[in-house]
Amino acid sequence: MDSSGMDGRWADGPLVELREIGRRHGERAVLGGVSLTLAPGRILAVVGPDGAGKTTLMQILAGILPPSEGEGRVLGRDLRREPEAVAARVGYMSQGFTLYDRLSVAENLEFAAGIRNVPAALREARARRLLAMAGLEHVTGRRAGALSGGMRKKLSLIGNLIHEPPLLLLDEPGLGVDPLSRRELWRMLAEFRARDTAIIVATSYMDEAERADAVLLLHEGQPVALDSPAALAASCAGRVYEWPTAAGTAASEPLPLRSRKQLADRVRAVLPEGGHAALPAGAVAVAPDLEDVFVDRTPPLPAPAAPWPAAAAAHPGGEAIVVSELSLRFGEFVAVDRASLRIAAGEVVAFLGPNGAGKTTLIRSLCGLHKPSAGTAVVAGADVAAGRRRVQGRIGYMSQHFSLYPDLTAGENLTFFASAFGLDRAAARAAIAWACAVTGLEPDGQWVRSLSGATRQRLALACSLLHRPEVLFLDEPTSGVDPASRYRFWTVIRQLAAAGMAIVVTTHYLAEAEFCHRICLMHNGRLFAQGALAELRARYGLAPDASVEDVFIAGIAREDSAAAAGEAAA
Amino acid sequence: MNLARVGAVITKETRELLRDPITVWLCFLMPLVMLFLFGYAVTLDVENIRLGVLDQDRTPASRALAMRFTASHYFERVRDFPQAHAITESLQRGELTLVLVIPHGTQRRLARGETAPVQLLVDGSYAATSLLAAGYAEAIVRGFASAPAAAVEPAVRIWYNPSLRSVNYIVPGLFGVILMAFPPMLTALAIVREKESGTIQQIYASPLTPREFMLGKLLPYAGVAFGEMLMVVGLGYAWFRVPFAGNPVELFAVAGLYVLITVGIGLLVSALAKTQVAAMLIALTIALMPSFLFSGFLFPVFSMPLMMQMYARAFPTSYFIDFARGVVLKGVGVEVLWFNVVWLAAYTAAVFLLAAWLLKKRVA
Repeated sequence: MDSSGMDGRWADGPLVELREIGRRHGERAVLGGVSLTLAPGRILAVVGPDGAGKTTLMQILAGILPPSEGEGRVLGRDLRREPEAVAARVGYMSQGFTLYDRLSVAENLEFAAGIRNVPAALREARARRLLAMAGLEHVTGRRAGALSGGMRKKLSLIGNLIHEPPLLLLDEPGLGVDPLSRRELWRMLAEFRARDTAIIVATSYMDEAERADAVLLLHEGQPVALDSPAALAASCAGRVYEWPTAAGTAASEPLPLRSRKQLADRVRAVLPEGGHAALPAGAVAVAPDLEDVFVDRTPPLPAPAAPWPAAAAAHPGGEAIVVSELSLRFGEFVAVDRASLRIAAGEVVAFLGPNGAGKTTLIRSLCGLHKPSAGTAVVAGADVAAGRRRVQGRIGYMSQHFSLYPDLTAGENLTFFASAFGLDRAAARAAIAWACAVTGLEPDGQWVRSLSGATRQRLALACSLLHRPEVLFLDEPTSGVDPASRYRFWTVIRQLAAAGMAIVVTTHYLAEAEFCHRICLMHNGRLFAQGALAELRARYGLAPDASVEDVFIAGIAREDSAAAAGEAAA
Repeated sequence: MNLARVGAVITKETRELLRDPITVWLCFLMPLVMLFLFGYAVTLDVENIRLGVLDQDRTPASRALAMRFTASHYFERVRDFPQAHAITESLQRGELTLVLVIPHGTQRRLARGETAPVQLLVDGSYAATSLLAAGYAEAIVRGFASAPAAAVEPAVRIWYNPSLRSVNYIVPGLFGVILMAFPPMLTALAIVREKESGTIQQIYASPLTPREFMLGKLLPYAGVAFGEMLMVVGLGYAWFRVPFAGNPVELFAVAGLYVLITVGIGLLVSALAKTQVAAMLIALTIALMPSFLFSGFLFPVFSMPLMMQMYARAFPTSYFIDFARGVVLKGVGVEVLWFNVVWLAAYTAAVFLLAAWLLKKRVA
């Protein structure tokens, strides 16, 4: 068979060569004008929000979706004439999980090898090496369905590496995977790059892309930029500034900015080229990152919503959430272990932790959905155990993925949620007008399923605000949304907080925590650290510019070693 | 066609199947349930028809006539009416299927050689049962009347199913229905499940060709279907005492052809459906329903209106059921029923050509 990748047909040229590749879906251009080349041993990151055309490009590269425009060769084979030959040679890991849950780790790997003609003689040695690399050698007999998200992702990855493809295509490998596992995944990719495998990674995490050799920025199906991360950053050099929030927010409003990012303690802005208007006092130039580049190269959004009447149910300065020694047990399993926490009205707090840390369980109990096994929690002035109904009337909950009805229009969704909260017709109309004004939403006749991720996000937020909650819970609110829309979203959140709403956020997207006043770190059911980002950096002895991810990983490592020491002592 | 790759798919599919208790249950317990339901409950025989008698004559002759009914095992005398007015209510409540009214003077008339009118009141709500009940009753009455004369004695011999047991007729038909009920659905679900979970993407981006994938998916389910067939034939013979007059090898050979059609239909369904729910509904509509209603399994095709006959003959089940009944009951085989075999072979070819045309290894 022709499984050996060493027939030299592409040894001289690039592994990937695309010229003006595009794909139409009916009338709509999903992707257009993509040209790129890739040499062995290089990593290309394809970056863009949901709906930017990343998956379409990856499927075209894998030879499983014919391009409707342009020419391309992958591994020396033409994408139009020999797509099967391309599909047979590349390693392609699609979005989501591509495992058979009922098969064991070893059996999944065996199947992956079997359909890819890996000779039996090589199979075992390779499988052993890959399993060791992924840290899965001790769980080969376990069912894939019983693995954690990170382990499943690693198993999918090595399944696509078993035939040692010269080109590896990964579609959103970090999606739904906690930061620790994501770091592992990248360590594996680095090893393969060192052995001359070319890798293309599609991602909506801009920070991931910084590790690539080249970055292709996609926006609404169009390439925005293609260069090395350093060159891209250089294009914005000297135009990115930060200044403390206190330093005259009002003065900054008329500035002609490309983007304005309202973080917890400071503002980060990208100036237009040549524009050096009067910056607020305390503004310092900072090194641009890819997100800055992305917003610089995409059309600006209309400014965030104008001022609006303050949220009704607000009493600033009060305590919105008081949790003391709260535990949740399911049988033997302790999901949340004696958590204590106070959140004031007007505060924005992030819950961070790996999968299974207990974030969701804790939030659900604060919403009155789980009865605490021990301890108490008072949310918006009502005890969650005794006054469940009262709590639920005073909180809002937004989960991007599940809370909207895709076959209804934005207006119908709003009307439905208004009636679900028991608002009468007049109150509902007023509440909808208010929520739309707050979120900058203009409901039209489109079905929700055809709206962009960013619009859906604003609609979900509007729906959760209709009854003017005192406390708002946001569950992964911004995954897959483009940076500019995300900044606007957070500006709205900050304005809501300023009006007295307490806001709790869970997210895998660690950079998001920079928008929050305070961070709570969770691991194995324990809420083991809380404080502002600067405080946590100091606590773990990190540099003042250390990222949230560094803090997170340092915190988890400290907690793990403490737990190990505790066990040893016991 | 690379056999190692097909083997990898077969191994994977078999493991997945064996570790899914619900599917295994569906594969073997459901046919069993159907076999016993149809074997016992849904017999088309009419036995123990509930009979009421209003004997106004009260003579030896009238008693003898009533006795004739109870002597045949078709009727069970559950009620005697002293007066006529209770009859209507009894029939309305559905207590009785048939009421025999023997008027005054019946013995006298018979003795005189006159015609003696006897009334049979039948509850016609269940047309099929009522018709049979009325038929039996009429035969008994006629036999009673003509008994002394005995001019012509018809010698009726019933061939192929001499005891006229429904189960002998139902079980061979069930072979065709069970194979149409489960294998298409299982096959379709097995493929659509991969579409739904996204694992199919891995298949697309691999050297597996559509034909290899198809074959690897089909063979395990064809095996299951064949196992179901063996189970139903075996139990039909051993438990329900269905005679097996013909050559089992011929039956199984043609069943193999039919199994290919059923899994092939599953393949076609999987090409049309994107979700498991849709696959299930399509499979129910195009495979299970026609195999029940338009295959001759319960209602003979030849007694349908012409349009319906043409419709019924468009589905493969009736050809296989005719063949199965031929082999099991009549002991004939391909030499007689070659037309059915040719039809099934043509059907197999058509299903697979269509499936190969529809099944492209592509995202869009």
